[in-house]
Amino acid sequence: MLILRRRAGETLLIGDNVRLTVLEVSDGGVRLAIDAPKSVQILRSELLQAANANRDAAAKEAASPEKLLGLLGSVPEEKKQNL
Amino acid sequence: MKLQTKYFGTIDYTDDELLSFSDGLYGFEEEKSFLLLPFSDENTLFSLQSVRTPGLAFTLMHPFSFRPSYAPVLRSEELDKLGVEKSEDLYYYVLCTVREPVRESTVNMKCPLAVNPDTRFGMQVILEGDEWGMRVQLGTPEEQGGAPC
Repeated sequence: MLILRRRAGETLLIGDNVRLTVLEVSDGGVRLAIDAPKSVQILRSELLQAANANRDAAAKEAASPEKLLGLLGSVPEEKKQNL
Repeated sequence: MKLQTKYFGTIDYTDDELLSFSDGLYGFEEEKSFLLLPFSDENTLFSLQSVRTPGLAFTLMHPFSFRPSYAPVLRSEELDKLGVEKSEDLYYYVLCTVREPVRESTVNMKCPLAVNPDTRFGMQVILEGDEWGMRVQLGTPEEQGGAPC
């Protein structure tokens, strides 16, 4: 893995047609600008993880969901949600 | 209207009972309309039944029955989209992955479904920070339960 240091305003080139520019570094976060062809998919990695977690949740259960009821506590009165 | 469901046979519903997720859920972007069907009178465990796909239902939990301290904080653009001013104005549900033995079942505390109870409009969000994981085991005590996986 290549690790390097860039400052705000500096750019990296990846291959022939991807430009990655650091726009701003502030406490705990960095804003990036990515210039790439439409065919290059850019995805926040947590979106993929969230989709995978949802797919696992939708898969056929190993047990009946009702078995979970025994593990759950009751809901405090002020937190009750009734849709 | 009638709907064939995964767990409750064929049921009757009306449009005002539907929950609307205009962006779908992650990985299920085409699923935009659901019914929330409780498994018990306690309102802690639910089936989120897809209207479009009879065989698709997610098992949802009331997160506060599992972690009373749970307090999601949404980004301002998410609050705008849901039409509320603060995170506490929303209802939250978390998705369970049911395993056998059931103590090994996990819940996704990082990506709750947030629902505006007035409009019945909802979205799945990804919480910032690493306080909550996507696969928190149900059978773990609270002091370890929040650790990300």
